[in-house]
Amino acid sequence: MIPTNDSLPNHPGSGSEQIYAGEVLLHRMMNRIRQSLQLPEILSDTVTEVRLFLQTDRVMVYRFDSDGSGEVVAESVAQQRLPPLIGQHFPSEDIPLQARELFLRARQRSIVDVVGQTIGLSPLNSDSDESIPTNDIRFQPVDPCHIEYLTSMGVLSSLVIPILHRHQLWGLLVSHHSQPRQVSQRELQVVQLVSDELSIAIAQCTLLEQTRTQAFQEATINRVAFQLHSMTEMHLQQALELTVSALGGAGGRIYIAPQAPKQEALVYVCGEWGMGDRGEIEELPSWQEWLNTSGNGGEAGIFSDLQQVAIPEELDVIFASLHMRGLLVIKLQYRQHFLGYLSVFRRAVDVETIWARRPDANDPRHQLPIISFEKWREIKKAQAQVWTDTEIELSRSLGSQFAMAIHQYQLYQQVNSLNADLQRDIQERILAEEKISALNAKLEERVQERTAQLQTANTSLQRLSRQHELILNSAGEGIYGLDRQGKITFINPAAAKMLGYGVKELTEQYMHVIVNHSQPNATSYTWEQNPIHSTLERGTIQYISNDIFYRRDGSKFPIEYVSTPIREQGEIVGAVVIFKDITERQMIERMKDEFISIVSHELRTPLTSIRSALGLLARGSLKNDSQKSQRMLEIAFDNTNRLVRLINDILDIERINSGKATMHCIPCNAADLMNQAGDEMRAMAEKAEINLHVTPLSVQLTVDADRIIQTLTNLLNNAIKFAPPGSTVWLSAEVENPEKPEQPEGEELPVIHDLFPSILFKIKDHGRGIPEDMLETIFDRFQQVDGSNSRYSGGTGLGLAICRSIVQQHGGKIWAESTLGEGSTFYFTLPLGTND
Amino acid sequence: MTNKRILIIDDERDIRQATQICLEVSGDWEVLTAASGREGLVKAATEHPDAILLDVMMPDMDGLTTLSNLQANPTTQHIPVILLTAKAQAAEQRYFMQLGVAAVITKPYDPFTLSDQVVQALARELGNG
Repeated sequence: MIPTNDSLPNHPGSGSEQIYAGEVLLHRMMNRIRQSLQLPEILSDTVTEVRLFLQTDRVMVYRFDSDGSGEVVAESVAQQRLPPLIGQHFPSEDIPLQARELFLRARQRSIVDVVGQTIGLSPLNSDSDESIPTNDIRFQPVDPCHIEYLTSMGVLSSLVIPILHRHQLWGLLVSHHSQPRQVSQRELQVVQLVSDELSIAIAQCTLLEQTRTQAFQEATINRVAFQLHSMTEMHLQQALELTVSALGGAGGRIYIAPQAPKQEALVYVCGEWGMGDRGEIEELPSWQEWLNTSGNGGEAGIFSDLQQVAIPEELDVIFASLHMRGLLVIKLQYRQHFLGYLSVFRRAVDVETIWARRPDANDPRHQLPIISFEKWREIKKAQAQVWTDTEIELSRSLGSQFAMAIHQYQLYQQVNSLNADLQRDIQERILAEEKISALNAKLEERVQERTAQLQTANTSLQRLSRQHELILNSAGEGIYGLDRQGKITFINPAAAKMLGYGVKELTEQYMHVIVNHSQPNATSYTWEQNPIHSTLERGTIQYISNDIFYRRDGSKFPIEYVSTPIREQGEIVGAVVIFKDITERQMIERMKDEFISIVSHELRTPLTSIRSALGLLARGSLKNDSQKSQRMLEIAFDNTNRLVRLINDILDIERINSGKATMHCIPCNAADLMNQAGDEMRAMAEKAEINLHVTPLSVQLTVDADRIIQTLTNLLNNAIKFAPPGSTVWLSAEVENPEKPEQPEGEELPVIHDLFPSILFKIKDHGRGIPEDMLETIFDRFQQVDGSNSRYSGGTGLGLAICRSIVQQHGGKIWAESTLGEGSTFYFTLPLGTND
Repeated sequence: MTNKRILIIDDERDIRQATQICLEVSGDWEVLTAASGREGLVKAATEHPDAILLDVMMPDMDGLTTLSNLQANPTTQHIPVILLTAKAQAAEQRYFMQLGVAAVITKPYDPFTLSDQVVQALARELGNG
């Protein structure tokens, strides 16, 4: 507090004192202003100090309102010599516009002397020369009304100095004195300086106030932003309440428009502004329309007094129901994306004003000089409150915070929803994977089962396949498979070997070409003529004999084969051919044919004679010719005997060769056998005039005596038959010992039985001899060097063949040596056995 | 009218004798015989028989060789030859028929019809000739 010092020198007129007091005042003022930033305090101190300095009854600060009226905001009154005016309002008419403009433009100071009826005017800014400040005071007569006004206030002298702030008339520094008083230039100068200091103080305080407001706004924004942004959950309700409170609203709401077609709007309400019967107010068509037409470019709707604007009825009903008077609507949008509305409303307020006098334009006294300052209290009910620029700015800032937060929240929601979708997807996928895993496990089980089955089947198949392979490989017959075109799909080793190829060489080859498949007469088939072709085309099974295949070396062989179609689901896909080489069979057949032919001939020949002879006799053609009849009988008898011998021989040789005639081996002496044979043939030899010479050898041997005698007689018979009359036939024998060194050099190594001693029989004649090329074949059946003589001698052509069979059955050998024209020697050996 | 002459060529003596008697008693045949192919060729060329009865299987020179010799000799080639064979198989018979013989008679022939068979063969040969 500033000490009030009424004892300070305050008499005007003493120049040096005044100067001193002025400096003191100024110094204190400056200190005050420096020390405080509270304007009311500064103003209060100022009026006190100035009153003490001027020593007047009242010093006050009058502040103008925007409408030109004003209020006493600071006052210092000395000892109640004047009535206090603090807090009182004065109508704008009391200080007319011209006067206010003079205060502003000319910075006019006025000094009124009521008694002297003069007013001293001292413009600080001269119209002629604004740059030179002056404290000159020009006195002139004062307006009587002014005198009356002051007088009615009880003032006889006054000093008024304008207080400017930012080139505006902020207010007035006024000194009133109930006594006449002169104002010196020095006083004027000091008080002017005080006014200037006040201007500075006001500027500073205003700045401070602005800063404070700004700080408050920022704090509000921060608080709201904190509610909006601090957590994952948007605290819109709290933010709205803070906003409504900061804007001094009675209530408000936030409307967040639905972001997707099926969503509903989100609405937060503060102070009973809920949903109407017809849904959200923001969704009414008239709302948007009204904002567009009456609001500020659609971005915001600022309505300080709803009674002053046209309102669609449906909105008006809602506003009225809430007793709404002022409304602030901020359109929430983020980068042109509409999000919703932030709305804050105010209700009407009652305003009390204390007037220094009644400003009634209709009062006829208005034009009259003001004579009374009776204090008058005015109470205005249901007044609208203007939205200040600061509030509007704050609401916009808050709106953008809301917009940002809502946008972020929506993004967050979208991300969350995406996350939820993703999570659901993942869950579904996990489920699906589990199902797949279960299926996989089952599948695996099935696969294992099937694998086991397959393995079993495979094992069986392999065994079967191996069996088939073995069968195919072991088969003596040639077996091959063909595809529809006649290409070899498989062939067994026997077939490949018969043809002179390797199995692999033949696969995929055209069999028909490879073997030059030919007919029995060696004419090649065309592929279309080939019976196998007909198997492939028509599925006919072909049994063919005597066709011809050619080997790799060009040689051919007769074959017999069966070709069978291979069918799959009724379709012919190929053929399998089984063939065999029938060369040997053909040869045997040929030999059989020849044999039959010979036997046939040998049998038919005697039969022809018998039949003719008996036929002639039977018919009686020869009954007159007894000689011919006799001859015919002889022919018949001889040929019958020949036939019997032939049949016996044939049967004999067959039995010996087939092993049916077993050798009855008994120990006997070779000499006995030789003598018996000689005796048997002696008659025949004598008849043929042959000298038979037998040299028996006494050696024990184990043989079938009858068969050996048969062999010896056969050979002797032969020799006698072919020997010329008068010649000699020799039968001799000797023991052959393998240790004996007389075995001729160069002879082939002796066979096993030659290692044991054996007996060698020799039958030698001086007949015609046998050609060398026939020495082997004479032992074959029906082979004779010259058949004509044998027929006379009753030979069957089987004698030597029988001899060979008997000797071989005994483990011996038989052969002949001969020189044409000199004679032949037949040899045969019989083993003597180790015991001998 | 003189008897027709026929030459029998066969190495079997019994067959020659029986066939000779058979032809002589059953018809008006004058029969000549030969015991081998060589002998037969000589007799055919010198005696000019009206027909030859030729055995196929003979030692030394067999019937077929004898036949080709007869057919090659201008003096004997016109004489009809009847083959007398013990080879009774059909294939052999067909083969023989292709050799330009008048007939093939299989042993043992029927002594009662032999003469007729020969006559018919000659008649056929005459007709063809």
